[in-house]
Amino acid sequence: MSSISRVSLVQALRYRGGQSMLAWMLHRISGIGIVVFVSMHVVAAFFLYSVEPQSITGQITQALTIFYEWLPMQIFILFSVMWHAINGARIVVLDMWPSLMTYNREAMWVQWALFVPLFLLPSILMILGAMG
Amino acid sequence: MTSQANVRARNRSGGRFELYAWFFTRVTGILFLLMGAFNLVYANLVGGQGKMDVAAQMRWAFFPIPFHVESTSVEVTPNFANPFWQVYSFILVAFAATHGFNGLRVILEDYVHSPLALAWLRGILVFIWLFVLLSAIFLIFVYV
Repeated sequence: MSSISRVSLVQALRYRGGQSMLAWMLHRISGIGIVVFVSMHVVAAFFLYSVEPQSITGQITQALTIFYEWLPMQIFILFSVMWHAINGARIVVLDMWPSLMTYNREAMWVQWALFVPLFLLPSILMILGAMG
Repeated sequence: MTSQANVRARNRSGGRFELYAWFFTRVTGILFLLMGAFNLVYANLVGGQGKMDVAAQMRWAFFPIPFHVESTSVEVTPNFANPFWQVYSFILVAFAATHGFNGLRVILEDYVHSPLALAWLRGILVFIWLFVLLSAIFLIFVYV
């Protein structure tokens, strides 16, 4: 753990890790996003049903619920869950059969082919549904 | 000699915990994929088709709790609110919270190097994890 060398943000951004690095970064960002916002949603829903709506806790809870149900937030959660699920499936398969690591590049393309429709179709339908 | 043995013993037990955490993450990850697919298929088989918009189907697929389909024209009882779904969604939220907060612990250990700060942050994570689980128990079994 202590052997990790310190890199500046500029160095980190200039590192050309390609698709695998992008997948790793998105996996981490989407994981943090899911834990933070879904936990917030669960706790806010708990307070929504257990405190007076007029109290300060109740007002904060309602604001958090409105924020969570806001369409861009829903799209963000959909993006995070879909990416985390599909990228996680690729990681599980390559961890179980490490010899398949040779085909990581092809696996990345399969992953994009699954992720793009599975994310775009529901999100477009959700946006159309919200527009009426 | 003793300190080396201690370090080795600690590394060994720590290594085993990390192995179990790694394995748990993989197994529950596959489980979530299967559960999400099952929820989606079930919802469409018992009357969701044509009565649930895409947002509600996604909400139900991610977490099957009656609140998530209340806004649609589907009949919530008996198909979307019964003891089966209470137990099922509790298992799902318990595994998901553990998977997620273990992931946060891994990320913290990547970026926080001070042992004292790490100990505090781990404690805070355990506290939030238990609070989320308790909130979920109330939402699933008490407020429904």
